[in-house]
Amino acid sequence: MRLFKKIGNTLHILCFPDEDVEKGEYLLIEDEEAGKALIAQVIDVEFANVPGVMEELLRSSHNGYPIEGEDEDPLDVTSHILYIQDARILICKIHGTVVNGRLKQESSWLPSRMNSRIHKLPTESLIKMAKIDGDLPILLGETQDSFPLSIDARQLDGKLNIITGKKGTGKSHLSKILMLGLIDYGAIVVILDLNGEYTNLGYNSDGSKNKYHDKIHILAPGKNFKVTLYQTKLYVMMRTLVYALGLPGTSAREFRQIWRFLERNGRLTLHGLGEAIQNWKCNQHVRDALYSRYMTIVNSGFFTDNMAEAIDFEKLLSKTEKEGGGAIVIDLSDTSPSDRQMIVEYVLANLQDALSDWKIRAVFLFAEEAHLYLRETYWDDIVTRMRHFGLFATFITNQPNTIHENIYRQADNIFLLNFVNEHDLQVISRAARADAETITSIVRDLPPHHCLLLGKIVKDFPMVVKVRPLNVKTMGQTRYFFTDERITKLVRELNQAPIGR
Amino acid sequence: MLLIGQLHYETTSKYNFPRIIKEIELSERIVELSVNTMRMIKGRILQISNIDFSDSIIELYDDYEECIPIKGKILSALLNSLKPIRDGTPIIGVDVSSIKVGATDSGVIYAVRGAIVQRINGKYRYFRFGPLPFHVTKRNFQEILGECDEDIPFESGISLRFEPQRQLCNLIERWLRMCISHLAKGSLILWDGSLTAGVPGSPVKEMSEILKVARENSNIVMGFSKDTTLKFLDWKITDLINGYKPPCLFEIDSLPLLSNSRLKLLGRIYVAKLARGGCSFRLDIDRCIPSEECIRAVERLIGNERIYQGYPETLRLAHIYSTFTASDVIGIQRLLVRRYGLRLVAQSNMHRTLFGPYGTKIGG
Repeated sequence: MRLFKKIGNTLHILCFPDEDVEKGEYLLIEDEEAGKALIAQVIDVEFANVPGVMEELLRSSHNGYPIEGEDEDPLDVTSHILYIQDARILICKIHGTVVNGRLKQESSWLPSRMNSRIHKLPTESLIKMAKIDGDLPILLGETQDSFPLSIDARQLDGKLNIITGKKGTGKSHLSKILMLGLIDYGAIVVILDLNGEYTNLGYNSDGSKNKYHDKIHILAPGKNFKVTLYQTKLYVMMRTLVYALGLPGTSAREFRQIWRFLERNGRLTLHGLGEAIQNWKCNQHVRDALYSRYMTIVNSGFFTDNMAEAIDFEKLLSKTEKEGGGAIVIDLSDTSPSDRQMIVEYVLANLQDALSDWKIRAVFLFAEEAHLYLRETYWDDIVTRMRHFGLFATFITNQPNTIHENIYRQADNIFLLNFVNEHDLQVISRAARADAETITSIVRDLPPHHCLLLGKIVKDFPMVVKVRPLNVKTMGQTRYFFTDERITKLVRELNQAPIGR
Repeated sequence: MLLIGQLHYETTSKYNFPRIIKEIELSERIVELSVNTMRMIKGRILQISNIDFSDSIIELYDDYEECIPIKGKILSALLNSLKPIRDGTPIIGVDVSSIKVGATDSGVIYAVRGAIVQRINGKYRYFRFGPLPFHVTKRNFQEILGECDEDIPFESGISLRFEPQRQLCNLIERWLRMCISHLAKGSLILWDGSLTAGVPGSPVKEMSEILKVARENSNIVMGFSKDTTLKFLDWKITDLINGYKPPCLFEIDSLPLLSNSRLKLLGRIYVAKLARGGCSFRLDIDRCIPSEECIRAVERLIGNERIYQGYPETLRLAHIYSTFTASDVIGIQRLLVRRYGLRLVAQSNMHRTLFGPYGTKIGG
């Protein structure tokens, strides 16, 4: 490899066919005289602009079909010509300088073009140099050079994370690895599970219970996740009514008075609330507005008057923490959109309560397709304010444009799986943790289950990792109509059908 | 530009002349000559310059034939209208190219490559020989000339007028022509250039022998010249045919006897315009072939070959396959570095050195 050109923080390196370098790998450009070395990541591989190649291609093929023939080349010159013609240019981004074995965030110097030695930088060396591995490793998978890559769980602590990639690339799989890794270190993880993909986290792929089984709490709203009004604080209910059910301001004021009246009289039940709304002296429109919301609450099945079947969410959080961590999976798969919003409002309000009262220390919130249930103002709230209370969010989505640009900018870590859509790539490239070129070029060619890691987890050295398999019963896979058995049967029937059918 | 306009053709699956060619002794002599010239080159410095391909690629033009004025009163030109004969006659084109790769302190390195393209059953197939590098110095030039022109005495001074690059081309071209004359049967063999012998690179004895062998194998040799110095009343002979409906052939059968006994026209000279909208070319056909048969051969050519811009496709492909591209040259330079340990340096530009950005050649 030879250093060819430097434009800004981009290097162009000439690479020959016998030098095997792939996108995402790191190179070390050593200038012995300067006593320094540049670290650069290959973000794209192009053909070198070798003069005469077009003529060569044109003469060796006609309408895509080469003319057959033989070359009598006694001195084997052709191999040298092919070597030149197959030369490549590696487009690389500079990520720092190594001086005396120590990494520096400096790229203002220029290594010698003629005397620099360029070679691949093994991931192991980079990890040691950049101190990417920490005391609390979570094994993610293997890097391109088959090095087992672990991230430090502390780099998820207090951080905002985004996992995104197109459908079927393994986002949920990766988030399961992260959350189980966090559970291993005693963390509390709350999962807003839109499709019921995390409900089997406590089982191995063969259906047997795994070591996490007792630490995974599945809460299905309306089934094993019900609450009483008595347990619910007024402001939680107000947020639910106003934000989730769109209760107007005037009606909200009346509701507050009704609630306080019922509290004073010890009649804060669903039944009592319904009666009070019906008999409350107020404008008929207000009464109607309140009653329609009341009916939504009743029909959701999330609230109950039966104390025996109600759950105390805050207590569950405290218990989970005391038991050494675990996951609370809120299974939203069987809930309507309005109920979903209501339940999420309830959960988040309670989380905030528990955290602000120091009932629990911190919570890692994993939210799948959050745009479907998170109200507009919550995004900024979670990113800015709630992280100070100890709520650290990880957003998981296959529609990157549903996450606001400012969220991308503030994200500490981004886990990118494959995207090919230009629009999606543009949205992702706004992430502040890496340059747009690196993101669009590498992510476009990521194979399934390969992930580009950006941010603090990799000390801002973007890395491609093949995500390891997980021995957990999967639920997130698409349920196909054409099963193997059905296909076999159909093919058999087609083969037996008379010709010309 | 020409390449992009190429026609579509299919390829033939089987053709076996290359293996036979390999066995011919001369090829070994040529390779040996190349290796011998390169023997003393190890570790030297090779000056390379930015390659201007139009300058450094050599094809065999007929400019050594000198200007032959054809007197008007003795000119009798016969126009023959041609009718294509489609009888499946195989067509074979031969061409050779060379290029200057760079200069050492004692000489110049050239690379030469030859190509044969055959069209049979409507399909094309090629065979290429080379590229072979030759390090030509003042000392070994005589040796190379000896290989090239055995029947031309060095002291005549004629050989020395022609640069080694052309001599090397001639050497390999003659060898390829001889191989094809031996191996092909009942084919039309197309050469790039005329059938004029007796000049450096075209010894009369060898040229006559090649044509004789070709005839013995029922082949007919035709030479297409893209450029000619033959003139009539200061007009190029290829311009004489303008205005006639193609395909047609002018036979120029009454040329004056040449005073220079060394130059010998081994072919009947025609001007051929083979396709509508195409160019006219000087066409030489083996003089020992009767005139009627020559005309019939051209009719077989246009009946069994694609004619692109008035030029046979096999010959065009032979040129394309033999010619050097810039990447070929870089590849050859790499071979020189790797195998012979040459050190490449860019040729210094004295004008640039002295005058900087004002160092252009224009205006001296």
